[in-house]
Amino acid sequence: MAVETLDGPPTLGLLYGRALLTARSGGATLPDRRLDLPGVRIDADAVADYAHVCGFGVGGVVPPTYPHMLAFPLQMRLMTDREFPLPAPGMVHLRNVITQARPPEVGEPLRVAVHADRLAAHPKGAQVDLVTAVVDQDDAEIWGSRSTYFVRGAPAPEGADGADGVPAAPPEPDPHVGRLPHAIWTVPGDIGRRYAAVSGDVNPIHVNGLAAKAFGMPGVIAHGMWTKARALAALAGRHGPAFTVDVVFRAPVRAPSKAYFHTAAVDGGWDAKLVSTKGKDHLLLTLRDA
Amino acid sequence: MATTSSSASSSRSLPRRAAIVGANRIPFARSNGAYARASNQDMLTAALDGLVARFGMAGEHVGEVVSGAVLKKSSDFNLTREAVLGSRLAAATPTYDVQQACGTSLQTTLLIANKIALGQIEVGIAAGVDTTSDAPIEVNEGLRSVLLAANRAKSTAGILKALSGLRPGQIVPEIPANREPRTGMSMGEHAAQTAAAWQISRRAQDEIAAASHQNLAKAYDRGFFDDLVTPYLGLTKDNNLRADSTVEGLAKLKPVFKPAGYPDTEATMTAANSTPLTDGAATVLLASDEWAAERGLPVLAHFVDAETSAVDYVHGGEGLLMAPAYAVPRMLERNGLTLQDFDFYEFHEAFASTILATFAAWEDPIFCKEKLGRDEPLGSIDRSKLNVVGSSLATGHPFAATGARIVPTLAKLLHEKGSGRGLISICAAGGQGVVAILEA
Amino acid sequence: MSNDWYSDFVNSSFGKSIAGSVGLPPVPRLRRYEPGQPLLSGPALLGTATADGRVAKVVRSLLTDLGIEVHDDPNAPVGGGSSSSKVAAGIVDATGLSGPMDLAEVQAFLTPVMRRIGPSGRVLVIGDVPAEAAAPAVRAARRALEGLVRSAAKEARYGATVNLVHVADGAENDVESTLRFFLSSRSAFVHGQRLDVGTVPGFSGSSQHVDWDKPLAGRTAVVTGASSGIGAAAAATLRRDGATVICVDVPASGDALARTANDIGGSALQLDITADHAADTLLEHARRHGGLDVVVHNAGITRDKLLANQDRDRWNSVIAVNLESQLKINDALLSSDVFHRGGRIVTVSSMAGIAGNRGQTSYGASKAGVIGMVDATAPLLVEKDATINAVAPGFIETDMTKAMPVGTREAGRRLSSMTQGGLPVDVAETIAWFAQGASYAVNGQFLRVDCQNYLGA
Repeated sequence: MAVETLDGPPTLGLLYGRALLTARSGGATLPDRRLDLPGVRIDADAVADYAHVCGFGVGGVVPPTYPHMLAFPLQMRLMTDREFPLPAPGMVHLRNVITQARPPEVGEPLRVAVHADRLAAHPKGAQVDLVTAVVDQDDAEIWGSRSTYFVRGAPAPEGADGADGVPAAPPEPDPHVGRLPHAIWTVPGDIGRRYAAVSGDVNPIHVNGLAAKAFGMPGVIAHGMWTKARALAALAGRHGPAFTVDVVFRAPVRAPSKAYFHTAAVDGGWDAKLVSTKGKDHLLLTLRDA
Repeated sequence: MATTSSSASSSRSLPRRAAIVGANRIPFARSNGAYARASNQDMLTAALDGLVARFGMAGEHVGEVVSGAVLKKSSDFNLTREAVLGSRLAAATPTYDVQQACGTSLQTTLLIANKIALGQIEVGIAAGVDTTSDAPIEVNEGLRSVLLAANRAKSTAGILKALSGLRPGQIVPEIPANREPRTGMSMGEHAAQTAAAWQISRRAQDEIAAASHQNLAKAYDRGFFDDLVTPYLGLTKDNNLRADSTVEGLAKLKPVFKPAGYPDTEATMTAANSTPLTDGAATVLLASDEWAAERGLPVLAHFVDAETSAVDYVHGGEGLLMAPAYAVPRMLERNGLTLQDFDFYEFHEAFASTILATFAAWEDPIFCKEKLGRDEPLGSIDRSKLNVVGSSLATGHPFAATGARIVPTLAKLLHEKGSGRGLISICAAGGQGVVAILEA
Repeated sequence: MSNDWYSDFVNSSFGKSIAGSVGLPPVPRLRRYEPGQPLLSGPALLGTATADGRVAKVVRSLLTDLGIEVHDDPNAPVGGGSSSSKVAAGIVDATGLSGPMDLAEVQAFLTPVMRRIGPSGRVLVIGDVPAEAAAPAVRAARRALEGLVRSAAKEARYGATVNLVHVADGAENDVESTLRFFLSSRSAFVHGQRLDVGTVPGFSGSSQHVDWDKPLAGRTAVVTGASSGIGAAAAATLRRDGATVICVDVPASGDALARTANDIGGSALQLDITADHAADTLLEHARRHGGLDVVVHNAGITRDKLLANQDRDRWNSVIAVNLESQLKINDALLSSDVFHRGGRIVTVSSMAGIAGNRGQTSYGASKAGVIGMVDATAPLLVEKDATINAVAPGFIETDMTKAMPVGTREAGRRLSSMTQGGLPVDVAETIAWFAQGASYAVNGQFLRVDCQNYLGA
């Protein structure tokens, strides 16, 4: 796999613009290329802004979902390339697994590496995984994630299904929680904009109602990673520093809306679910301490 | 309650005394600096977690956590409870919030100590926190009226009608000021009047300020704060500390508060002999002797007594920050003590002039006769026993956190000495004061 | 970790792409210890080189008590498979050697073992203490085992380890914790090493009634330098094994220290261990828990300078933190009742103290110094039934190694027999083993946790 080392983080707004405006060739295979961004340092103020939007406290610890902020511009850079098989605008986050060996520290020099794989058919389109590694100065992977994105109606490229030597995804998390919600979330109408402001993820489905409808959404929806972050904020201080948290995103969370958050302490970690007031699953979460 | 003047405080018939076991605070940070992005809840949680770590209490229940903040958002109505839920303490730990301006966390210490003394709880945490960086911003009164009217309106038309009353000037937010509502004067302006009335010299004030910085620096150097402070957001010491402060250096600063009504008196109060706006949080662990003994924890000192007082600074001709001058003599009398019966004096340095004015009042036969009804003045204190490891002028003064900084400081000084007695005095906005006695 | 798919996946695609791009050999994934893990993951081969072997029967009874399949013949079919089926361990009792000719029996047993040892398998050679033999031929044979083991270690693959344990005459019934350590995955990164059991006379203790899943239950431990790296891992590992842990670090690291302590339900003590009152403060804090059983001297600093550019202040600060503070604290422990009978002192040395390292004259001096300290302190502790041992991490990924230049760091990482750097937990496992009450016969030892990384010499 070729490694392309970047000088600095790509600018997301420009990437979305490019994705919307330029004609895509839409290659049938994933780019055999990894993007590397060395010398990344987490900024304390950016972490504080992120923490405020997602409900984390401001302490010495970087929230476990925060490194996604470092990875996302690289993911977009890969996905907005003309030859990338799927279009970026309208992409929906289906699943995200984070494995943290230790929390990254503010100011510590880190390398962020992103590549795509597992391009696969989906009953309603196509999906692809973006794999991220956050590596410390000693080449130890301290944080890794796998994001599965889905594009409705995109043709699944030939031969790209589970049989293609691509390992099948493991079973989805199956959280077991009680009947009663532990919290009722009030999802603010502007959460998409606020999260976009701290994350740079200005995907139109999160910030503009008309655009969201154009992409088949019922209206503006909250970022999946915001819901995951908020769920983890609710569990802050109740798990160890090293763990794996696996989340599938089901029905999109509309903004504004209300939703029920269920949690259960289980052996070795936590199970949690976010469910709509009408009983539809929004988010299924399992967290297991290492 | 039976009191006798012949024996010392131990004769007061509380069932038992609360022990000060230990403490933790985060370093205090000058406003809009190191903690600019941190909320009251963040800082209080960090201070609590440091305390939990120091005493190995992760997951433990304590009887009660009582804390408060002066500058508090309305959404922080349950500030302490929220902080406890985010901390490593057991989630089933009860809490409540208290606010008594700069006296807040000496008052919360008193509340916890009393419940321990009465046997209602065995262990509790008193705390206080304040941020001047993440302060609540209120809409001004005009905008508030308009918004409330719109909220009451039943129809869209009604809402629009109510909103049509909006004027551009009403959109300017009100940032809380350190200002007394009834006098319209800032605390500094009040203190400047008191300083002028008692003819407190500039040099005497600068001496207090320089000593505060020098004493704090020495205390840090000898590791005094190693078991009282835990770093936070990259800060390992109070960043207001200027170890190289000297009287000569401070003399060069320009005065900032002009005493209203004293046209001929020179202004003496500077940024150095007044406390700066500061962010921070502090906690104190109190318990019964039995609770401490079961865990092999030290008892640094015991909480003996406290007194809260207030003065009529609006119409009564008394200085805003002079309430401790009244509280201390009452507490001394109740405990059969004189002002000189102490090994340490921990006086909150809201302004250097405040404590100097208090000392002057106690040395003044007329004040003592007319205001306190005493035949003899209280006399002087041995200044070498005053704020020996620094105080608010050097550490800074996050309003509600100061009491919980001072209590463990004094307790540890008494513990180091082996035995003895210390006096705490804190003045507060609204013409109030909280004072206390600790013994080891 | 529940989601093995995930880590496997990252390892296979991403990890390989890194490795491939720099032309590195494949990196074996080491089996590491988890509570409840069986001692061995498969059958064991147990050989005896001479008729005078003293230790084999002890090993056999341990393994059979644990229900492990044991075969005497190194070519025996195992687990219902064939004579080439993989085994989890090959152990040879090479005590009682009468001269170099007897070594052939060791070779005859180990040759098939080396062919069939499985991934993360354990090859363990047990010999007599060379210094206990006066006859040149006997001592030569005993000493020869060390060369055999160190060389065999360089040939082992897929995370298998080869180690040598010397058992002093009369100590054959005092080896259980040592056998358990070297056979289990607690010793994942200990490779090509030698350890002596029972060489400091007068030891006493017992391996009876030990809860081997919580060997430190009821014990109180202090770990210095506990806010990060090896110290934090040691604190967590001691806690996992049942100890109450007091986490010590300098006040400036207090926030990370508080997190370490709260994560493991321990307590945090902010303390400059070079301060005059340090030992008293530490003992005073330990009184809370009724005394102290284990002290882990892990705090260390580097102030690297070429000797030609060295100055006294830098030099002294390293010696003060890394060596003098430990001597002072040990003195205080020896003369205090707070340090319990049966106590354990473990000190963290370094490869720099053994092999030397450019730019690290002060650090190397301090870390060699602690080995001298261990030698001299060990006999003094016998009357308290206590022990002192040193662990020497090789290339372990920590904050301190981040200060190294990139070239040195990379070389360090790849030089080891496992082609990887160790993890802080690998050192922590060795520390926790030294700390066990059942390790009473292990005294005055130093053990490298480095997979034979010999940086600099």
